[in-house]
Amino acid sequence: MTDAQPAAVTPAGTDSQDTEPARSSGRTPQARRWRPSGAALLGVVLGLIVTAALSLTALSVYNHNERRLLKLRVHEVDLVLAATAPTIQTPLASAAELADATGGNAAKFSSFMVPFVGPGREFTSVSLWKLGGAKRPVASVGVAPANAANRVATLALRPGSLNVMGELSSPRPSLGFEYNGSSKGYAVYSEDPLPSSRRSSLQGNSAFADLNYAVYLGRAQRPSDLLLTSVKELPFRGLHESDTVPFGSGTFTLVVAPVGSLGGQFFKDLPWIILGVGVLISLAAATMTERLAFGRQRALRLAGELDRVAAENRRMYIEQRDVSMTLQHALLPDTLPEVPGLRVATRYVPAPSGGDVGGDWYDVIAVDSNTVLLVIGDVSGHGLEAATTMALVRHAVLAYVAQDPAPATVLGKLSEFVRGRTHDYFATVLCVLVEVQAHRITLASAGHLPPLLLDGHDARFVSLSADPPIGFPTVAEYHQTSVSVPPGATLVAFTDGLVERRGEVLDVGLERLREIARSGQRAGEDILGRLARDLTSDDHHDDTAMVSIRWQS
Amino acid sequence: MAELGDTKPATLRIDTHAEESGAAVITLAGDLDMSNADRLKETVAAVTAERPPLVIFSLASLRFIDSAGIAVMLRAATDVGEVRLREPTAPIRRVVELTGLGHVLQIEP
Repeated sequence: MTDAQPAAVTPAGTDSQDTEPARSSGRTPQARRWRPSGAALLGVVLGLIVTAALSLTALSVYNHNERRLLKLRVHEVDLVLAATAPTIQTPLASAAELADATGGNAAKFSSFMVPFVGPGREFTSVSLWKLGGAKRPVASVGVAPANAANRVATLALRPGSLNVMGELSSPRPSLGFEYNGSSKGYAVYSEDPLPSSRRSSLQGNSAFADLNYAVYLGRAQRPSDLLLTSVKELPFRGLHESDTVPFGSGTFTLVVAPVGSLGGQFFKDLPWIILGVGVLISLAAATMTERLAFGRQRALRLAGELDRVAAENRRMYIEQRDVSMTLQHALLPDTLPEVPGLRVATRYVPAPSGGDVGGDWYDVIAVDSNTVLLVIGDVSGHGLEAATTMALVRHAVLAYVAQDPAPATVLGKLSEFVRGRTHDYFATVLCVLVEVQAHRITLASAGHLPPLLLDGHDARFVSLSADPPIGFPTVAEYHQTSVSVPPGATLVAFTDGLVERRGEVLDVGLERLREIARSGQRAGEDILGRLARDLTSDDHHDDTAMVSIRWQS
Repeated sequence: MAELGDTKPATLRIDTHAEESGAAVITLAGDLDMSNADRLKETVAAVTAERPPLVIFSLASLRFIDSAGIAVMLRAATDVGEVRLREPTAPIRRVVELTGLGHVLQIEP
């Protein structure tokens, strides 16, 4: 018995063909080229845009912060610079007062200034001048003044304040400070040489090591006014701040730029860190999206392959069913005997599920000119096996009829025949011997449903007690019954597919059949056509075979 | 594959247990037809392989049986010797009567 469940993936026995679609479809997935999905691309673009925005924001915040910090630092430097003015002015002013008081005593001047002059002290060179045109200093401590020292005596510099004198275009450039108590007394002049390149680092002042600077004399930032700087090239590029610092009677201009990052290296790097992390996250997200999309595509491809395999199975299944059906039609009689006074009709309706063909069969055998034997049966199971078993049983019946057409005898011999063989089936068989002229039928049933007798007005099932089906190993005795038939009557024999319905008492199906046959008979319809239309269209699940015999008089 | 399965697939539940007497009881529920008769056939083969003295098909919840299902029960009867039907519903009782199987598949009193 072959399983007729249509959901079965592959019918047994087709394994060799089954592998073919799987093999051919296996090539397609590898042949595809990788192509990024739209979702992944969109993800990357969006991720990069967000990253760029965050990165620019961080950069802007950082720059703003740096500028603010730099302003604070400039003010600090201003304060420090301004604070150095008194340390210069106080000794010079004291010396000037001493000179005025002592009438320009050189020895006293020298002994007063010596502690302030020398390497590591406030001054490099300090000299005392008599105002009013002296060409030489009254006294000098430390290195001799290099630049236009005579001008100190001749220029009328502002008394009572620290005068700044830059000699920047001189071959030995210097920065000088002058102080005089009154324009008629003495002036004290200090001078510090400047490096010709103006390069210098702030001496030991590590609090400002994070800054580059340039100091100009006056308010302009002309290269000719440059006093000192920590860098090779000026002006500063990038972030820088400038401020003016009053110093004595003059002014310095201070320009400052950060060496590194004032707010800390981390905040300087933050925009780049955000950029790097953002790009990585975007790429990772895109990769994941891509993998998901790829997985989805693969699932779709797989589903497509399964559909192809299913279609292939379906094709093979239908093919096999067609083989079985062809075989069965070949096994059923294609011509029926012509018997005077009798009209014979047959019909075979396959199961609507389209599954395997069943083992239903019928035969109408002419015994002599006045007698026919009607045989109808149903071999258990479906498919090729049932069809071939049916053929075997059918031909055995043909042989036994030739010996003795009595129905009980035929069934008994058939039972013997089957019992002697190894088999795995059962068959219900109904044999009806029809004597046309005598209007008599003789029946025997091996587990088969009784036939319906229509007598022109009414319809009834022939009263018949069934014996066990063919194929059962215990010896069964078959009984036969004879019934008289009125003129014009019709006998309808059928298989169980016509009346069996799920969850329904068999009697209900039999009664339905009886009613339909009776109304069809009254309307003068073709009985088998009516039964096929009404009883094999909807809920029936099995093959159905029908044979009708009508007495024409 | 829907076009191949116009009829709803029959659902069948099969349970087996042994009674104290040694009888093997196969309880069936649902519909038994050619679509699932093979499943029952395997169960019956496993049960009869242990040579129980009696096999009982408990059929109180079996709504429908067709010739394929009857054939499986008959097969059990040929293998074991005695098969009884317990509490068959009216449709099944009628099938057994009409097909002349009453003395092969005895209905339990």
